[in-house]
Amino acid sequence: MNKIRVLIAKPGLDGHDRGALVISQALRDHGMEVIYTGLRQSPLQIVQAAIQEDVDVIGLSSLSGAHRTLFPKVVELLEEKGAGDIPVIGGGVIPSEDISFLIDSGVKKVFTSGASTEALALYIKELIHPGKSTYDPPSKIAHIGIAVQSLDQTLPFYMDTLGLSLEKVEEVTSEEVKVAFLKVGETRIELLEPLASTSPIAKFIENKGEGVHHIAFEIDRIEDRLAKMKAEGIQLINEEPKEGANNSQVAFVHPTSAHGVLVELCEEGK
Amino acid sequence: MKKNKDSEEKLNIYEEILRKNSKRFPERKEHFETSSNIPVKRLYTQDSFKEEKTKEYPGVFPYTRGIQPTMYRSRFWTMRQYAGFGSALETNKRFRYLLEQGQTGLSVAFDLPTQIGYDSDDPMAEGEVGKVGVAIDTLHDMEVLFDKIPLNEVSTSMTINAPAAILLCMYIAVGEKQGVPMEKLTGTIQNDILKEYIARGTYIYPPKPSMRIITDIFAYCQKSLPKFNTISISGYHIREAGSSAVQEAGFTIANGMAYVDAALEKGLDIDSFAPRLAFFFNAHNDFFEEIAKFRASRRIWAQIMKDTYEAKNERSWKMRFHTQTGGSTLTAQQPDNNIVRVTLQALAAVMGGTQSLHTNSRDEALSLPTEESARIALRTQQILAHESGVADTVDPLAGSYFVEELTDQMEEHIYEYLYHIQEMGGAVQAVQEGYMQREIHQEAYETQKKIESNEEIIVGLNAFEVEEEINPNLLKVDPVLEEEQVSMLKSIRKDRQEKDVEHALEQIKHAAQSEEENLIPHILHAVKVYATVGEISNTLRDVFGQYEG
Repeated sequence: MNKIRVLIAKPGLDGHDRGALVISQALRDHGMEVIYTGLRQSPLQIVQAAIQEDVDVIGLSSLSGAHRTLFPKVVELLEEKGAGDIPVIGGGVIPSEDISFLIDSGVKKVFTSGASTEALALYIKELIHPGKSTYDPPSKIAHIGIAVQSLDQTLPFYMDTLGLSLEKVEEVTSEEVKVAFLKVGETRIELLEPLASTSPIAKFIENKGEGVHHIAFEIDRIEDRLAKMKAEGIQLINEEPKEGANNSQVAFVHPTSAHGVLVELCEEGK
Repeated sequence: MKKNKDSEEKLNIYEEILRKNSKRFPERKEHFETSSNIPVKRLYTQDSFKEEKTKEYPGVFPYTRGIQPTMYRSRFWTMRQYAGFGSALETNKRFRYLLEQGQTGLSVAFDLPTQIGYDSDDPMAEGEVGKVGVAIDTLHDMEVLFDKIPLNEVSTSMTINAPAAILLCMYIAVGEKQGVPMEKLTGTIQNDILKEYIARGTYIYPPKPSMRIITDIFAYCQKSLPKFNTISISGYHIREAGSSAVQEAGFTIANGMAYVDAALEKGLDIDSFAPRLAFFFNAHNDFFEEIAKFRASRRIWAQIMKDTYEAKNERSWKMRFHTQTGGSTLTAQQPDNNIVRVTLQALAAVMGGTQSLHTNSRDEALSLPTEESARIALRTQQILAHESGVADTVDPLAGSYFVEELTDQMEEHIYEYLYHIQEMGGAVQAVQEGYMQREIHQEAYETQKKIESNEEIIVGLNAFEVEEEINPNLLKVDPVLEEEQVSMLKSIRKDRQEKDVEHALEQIKHAAQSEEENLIPHILHAVKVYATVGEISNTLRDVFGQYEG
């Protein structure tokens, strides 16, 4: 896929470009090509630059209050020059009551003070490549994690009483746990025994006793999904995926965002 | 000796308690640091700072503790709220309101076309007239702006840079009409072009001719306006653009040195202009670091003026500064929280010994302040001055182990930047190479990342949010204003003596072309015959060229 090309422009005379510069760099970090026009651009200069640079989207920034005049003018001129298909988004110090006016004038979206660069980057990606950032629901429950004092004392219940078969036992040293997997249809029970008192599982048992520790969902595109969740304000324990069992990539969502349940996202190893 | 043994014993007890405690109450973070990444220790003790620093006194070189011996016991800082919007008539009303409310100095905000030398009917001015400040095209607007405000009784600060000479001349002309001779006028023009290239963006000409206009102003004022501050060397906007506290102080002092160098090169005597140099800083969130920044900056400036530039007059050594609370720290979310932020920042400025203060209004992340918000902001200062008791002794935090050590550390880090910029060939060179711009931008980006990852908590923004409709009572600038301003300008152009204007502009052109001639008397003449800000600026653009950012 070609890189998304973005023109960031400062229309009018306003010289405050901290926001424009920070956004330019953040979008570059998201893999986009960003052209920043510099200060004091007239609407015509901006439109000409957009056409010449063949950009996918224009971002306008204004802190001086001139947005009501200048943003619509950029949209108008784009139409005039036959480039009305280039979407225009805006940001800066924009009073909320002006936002609907700007949207009515053809500005696609307005990001005001305090908006995160993550949310902006995702919005642009979705705008330019629609559908790429909507996600399939989890395909199954990958496993249910249960914290136990001792695997040796627990396994007889699952194996003998319930009759499940033991798939494998392995130690995950990074988490200081020993793990036993038991298959149930297409999902698994994961029994977790702490190997040290500093293990998160040991702390869990100390606080709550033995019991259900987490639920893991099987998903795809874990990295994008984490970025999206983060931008939506979901509290994540791992913002980047980490190595799980069987070459899988995993990350945990904080129970405060999942209503008291520790949720694990799991992408199977390829 | 006994005392030492005593304190050693106490230290041992403390460490024992600490050891026991730290298991049950581990610290919130592994590392604590200031916004400039200076590590903050768990505890500061008498071993933290150098003994000789406790022997500093206010009003005595190097002025770490303040530039006056009595500070606010004699007179509070000047409460100076920046205001200006729309037309000169409306702004005049707001000024008179603020003066009635007990404000003690005026501070004029100009709109962007005025700040960049365009008339209100210039195509470049479209949509900007009267938006972020008052629109001034000719002396007529300035007469309306100061109507019924006696210029011999107020001091006026004007946030004007590239066209500072023009607005200063208009101020002189208004004074003359009121019967106030220019040597009685008091106030400040910002006139700091270097930080415009670095952070604020309202430059017109390239650095070299811009520096020449500034030194022309220095030379003119030393003779004719001895009570006027000829420059306000500003870290404020550098900080707003995202710099750290250390960078703010370092870059500002480096710029100050560049102005001194330029004036010396022009042949001015250091003690003839240095006492009229003023500074302008930001008061940000990190309370103790800000106080240390103010104290360290005063100490450094005094040392540089005395030792490097060999100024003899004590007034040349003293760093006088205005402070404004940090606009970029305000949030659009839960705007009333901003009142609390402003209070803490204002307190830091007062503890740091500022000469004047602007407190921001709670709604400034959303738009220009309403009258009610502007009043609360002024009341905040009045409560600090009259109710809190913090102004009753000089430099109350001196001798604090933490504040003294932090002051020393800030001093050290600020000097590192100064040496580095000196090596590059001075601030003008560093600006032209984009050095400061890059440093600031990097810092701004790091800050944004910290906020987005919740490493830095901004209450109401990335923590403790509420569902809210942000729809406060906002000040709106009437869109008809642009038309009215333009038609006023047209009628002034019609009524004036066109020949006089042409002649005056011709004179400015000649003066600009000769390096020796001082521009100011010619500009003064031109404004008196109602030449516009745009006409004078364009005349100079023709000679000097324009700076492309």
